[in-house]
Amino acid sequence: MIEDPERLVRAAQGGDTLAMNDLLDQLTPYVGRICGPIALSNGPDATQEALVAVFSSLRTLKEPAALFGWVRAIAVREAIRVARQEVRQVAADLAELPARGDPQLAVDIRDTLARLSPEHRALLVLRDVEGLDERAAAAVLELPAGTAKSRLHRARASFRKAWGS
Amino acid sequence: MTDNWPTADLDHVRRLRVLAAGIPGATVTERVFDAAPNHVWDLMWGNGTTFTEFQTDMSQVERLERDQDRVRMTVRSRYGMRAQLEGVVSPGWCWLQSRFLLVGMAAAEEPGGGTRVALTGGVRVPGKAALVPIGVRRESNKSLDRLAEKL
Repeated sequence: MIEDPERLVRAAQGGDTLAMNDLLDQLTPYVGRICGPIALSNGPDATQEALVAVFSSLRTLKEPAALFGWVRAIAVREAIRVARQEVRQVAADLAELPARGDPQLAVDIRDTLARLSPEHRALLVLRDVEGLDERAAAAVLELPAGTAKSRLHRARASFRKAWGS
Repeated sequence: MTDNWPTADLDHVRRLRVLAAGIPGATVTERVFDAAPNHVWDLMWGNGTTFTEFQTDMSQVERLERDQDRVRMTVRSRYGMRAQLEGVVSPGWCWLQSRFLLVGMAAAEEPGGGTRVALTGGVRVPGKAALVPIGVRRESNKSLDRLAEKL
């Protein structure tokens, strides 16, 4: 049975370490979906760092109902930080990427994402994985709305160029 | 659109680091062994039979009930005290608590070969997610030394 995450947060804040274990079960796939596309090969490191930040400051979460929004902000921040440490930053030249329909689709997507900056990847994740609107995505990244909009435009243009859509 | 996007996961050792980070006083002791994860885990847990041989401060499992990955057990310490532990056990993962004790064990395949083992736990501040930070690393190292001897 999947337990209510808000109840788990309250129990964990009250000192129940089994509730912490069960909460980790629920948060890991969510954080992994955010950190994976942003931190790419460093996704497991970013996921670990994000969840370490979540659990070491869980006591400070005053509104358990806000859990996933709070975790999302931490995960994006940690994923960008870890991804920036990756020296292998490639300029956004997408001309030689494989076309859509290639059997190595998942590998190709990873390759496409790798050619974007961590900040651009974070915007795509917030819009396309998390479904946030531009204003909310900008707020998570602490960016002016105009900056987020122009970055998103560039990220989408890169994807269109890569996938021919 | 995002079905094929990459995702990231945590292995059991990373899970242990995460939970320990949320418990003041907890430390994580790790070591890599040149053996397969299932063999290492058999010596660490072994359906509860090898648990007290691996955990150097435990002497006997007096009762063990399982419901899938949920476990309730009564263990006796080598000092004669009993503890009612409850928690979760699955291959490579063990997380047990009583009012006064916490036991965390993890084993995961190490990239490049072997198995990384991580341990945490100790005496709880009663009922709290906090440990009394005395002798924890020493006990964990004893357990890992014992495991090395058996391997």
